[in-house]
Amino acid sequence: MKNFFFFILLTLPSFSNAELFLEITKGSDDPFKVAMIPFQGSSGLSKQINRIILNDLKRTGEFSMLDEKLLLPLKMVDEELVYSDWKLLGMDFLVTGKITNSSGSIEVIYEIYDIYKQRKIRSSKVFGIPNQVRQLGHYTSDGIYESITGIKGIAATKILYVNEVKNSKQINTYRLMLADSDGANEKILLSSSQPIISPTWSPDGNRVAYVSFETGLAKVYIQEIASGKREAVLAQNTQISSPSWSPDGKYLSVTLYQDGNAEIYILRLRDKTLTRMTNQFAIDTESSWSPKGNKILFTSGRSGSPQIYELDLRRLNPKPKRLSFEGSYNAKASYLPNEEGIIFVHRSKDGRFHIALKYKKENFIRILTEAKMDESPSVAPNGNMVIYGIKEKDQSLLAGFSLSGARFKLPASNGEVREPAWSNFLR
Amino acid sequence: MITNFRYLHASLISFCIHATIFLLIYGIFSSTTPNKKLISKPLQVEIKFDLPNKNIAQSIPPSKSIPSPKIIDEPIYSRSDSSKTQLKINTLYESNLTELLSQEEEIEIIREEQEIAIFAQKIILTIENAWMKPKNIPLGLVANLRLKIRPSGRISSVDLVKSSGNIRFDNSALQAVRRVETFNFFGSIPKPLYEQEFKNISISFNPSI
Repeated sequence: MKNFFFFILLTLPSFSNAELFLEITKGSDDPFKVAMIPFQGSSGLSKQINRIILNDLKRTGEFSMLDEKLLLPLKMVDEELVYSDWKLLGMDFLVTGKITNSSGSIEVIYEIYDIYKQRKIRSSKVFGIPNQVRQLGHYTSDGIYESITGIKGIAATKILYVNEVKNSKQINTYRLMLADSDGANEKILLSSSQPIISPTWSPDGNRVAYVSFETGLAKVYIQEIASGKREAVLAQNTQISSPSWSPDGKYLSVTLYQDGNAEIYILRLRDKTLTRMTNQFAIDTESSWSPKGNKILFTSGRSGSPQIYELDLRRLNPKPKRLSFEGSYNAKASYLPNEEGIIFVHRSKDGRFHIALKYKKENFIRILTEAKMDESPSVAPNGNMVIYGIKEKDQSLLAGFSLSGARFKLPASNGEVREPAWSNFLR
Repeated sequence: MITNFRYLHASLISFCIHATIFLLIYGIFSSTTPNKKLISKPLQVEIKFDLPNKNIAQSIPPSKSIPSPKIIDEPIYSRSDSSKTQLKINTLYESNLTELLSQEEEIEIIREEQEIAIFAQKIILTIENAWMKPKNIPLGLVANLRLKIRPSGRISSVDLVKSSGNIRFDNSALQAVRRVETFNFFGSIPKPLYEQEFKNISISFNPSI
């Protein structure tokens, strides 16, 4: 037991390095200025939790955090908050807290002060267990983020992505990976010698669906995260791809090739019944459900080039409505959580692929990224962040941005990284 | 049949009386409601505030001798202004004194209006300079804030009266006001004018104007 304890202590520094996995390369244009006094606590864990919270807040891109060195002369003693001192430093908010660790349970108590209004705006408690310290830190930072911005935090959410690695004999291994939203805490969900593509989350975050070519044919599998139990959703010997879960978790929209070309179907998971949704000689694929579950988006080549269409599921025999008209390539669309608009891949006139946004009420698109080969965007459940794949020096890795202008990069750990999928809120 | 006609008659008269009463009451209320007037129309931010004088000013027929209220940069008590007034008094010396008085009143009202417009413009500019319009927000968002301002110019409270429906946009408006904190020109606003117009103001953030 003693040895085990030492082991934990020794590995702590390397853990905290891993926390810095997701790099913020540019902050929001108009960040909130926040000072965080390191939370008091005697245990060794306090330092780690403090670091997680601080890094989370920095990573949101919405805050400009006061340099810790400047905090030293301003240590706040309880009930002695001098607002004018913080105002002089140009702070909008002050965060203070305390971490207690007793008999196997950790508790974080934190308070947020609005310097301008000169009052406390939040006082909260977060409970955790020792082996879930990261999660405890994430919950705390999400609470701070929400109190200040009014937007739900996503530090405690998770991402899926596909990792392709080559061994010394140049043989590829494809791995379906699960990680915290900052890229840390990676776990391999599936490892295969054949490609894995299109990972997606079940709405409750307990299961994932993806396409695996392990049988030589594209097949959609559903896998339980906790147990690793997996099964193909359809036994038929036909190609099936592009799964997307309905928000109620009861259906999966998929692309089926059984009619000779790609068509969208909705699969009822309870009894595996299929309903055909499109009927067109062109390719229809990449379906994605609206957050309310009454519509699906998909990409279709029916106009002669890939464009985004919407199907209203409340109607009988719905007619697809075309949503994108700009340029000759718009694909892989998904809704913003409030259904205010859609995020998708757009090819510009110079042949570059960008992530773009189109609001429903507007008749133009907004291009949000600048690289050459940006692909497969996935929107965070708070609608404020998007993670996507980029190519840098012929290597695939992940990058992200917030709608308010912050930019992120997840440096590739090992091999190629692509097709990110952001989970729902997991609480 | 006769009685029916009587009833008809009576109801007609009753209707007329009630309609007259209704119209009278409606008239009283409708004339008092539109006191929230838009004073100026700048690019992005507007100020809306109570302006009871505006109605009176509009009801008086405009006279050519009165300086145009549109030029807000012109000094209020300029020499040309007062000489014109002087001339007017000389030529109209024998005419009706009450008319003269009413014209004096008129000038006073317009001066005050000009003053309000100048200070409103200053408030707008200060807030506009402090405002960073958030990126990637849909067009057509409008957020209204209500500010309470102390005589020193310090903003003592801000309330979001009407949300734009977009949190980031609302936040940007609130942040702009936070950044301003104090309007340093409030000392030059005459006390009665401050009490009347600038103690509580409503600001509309509307980038689409």
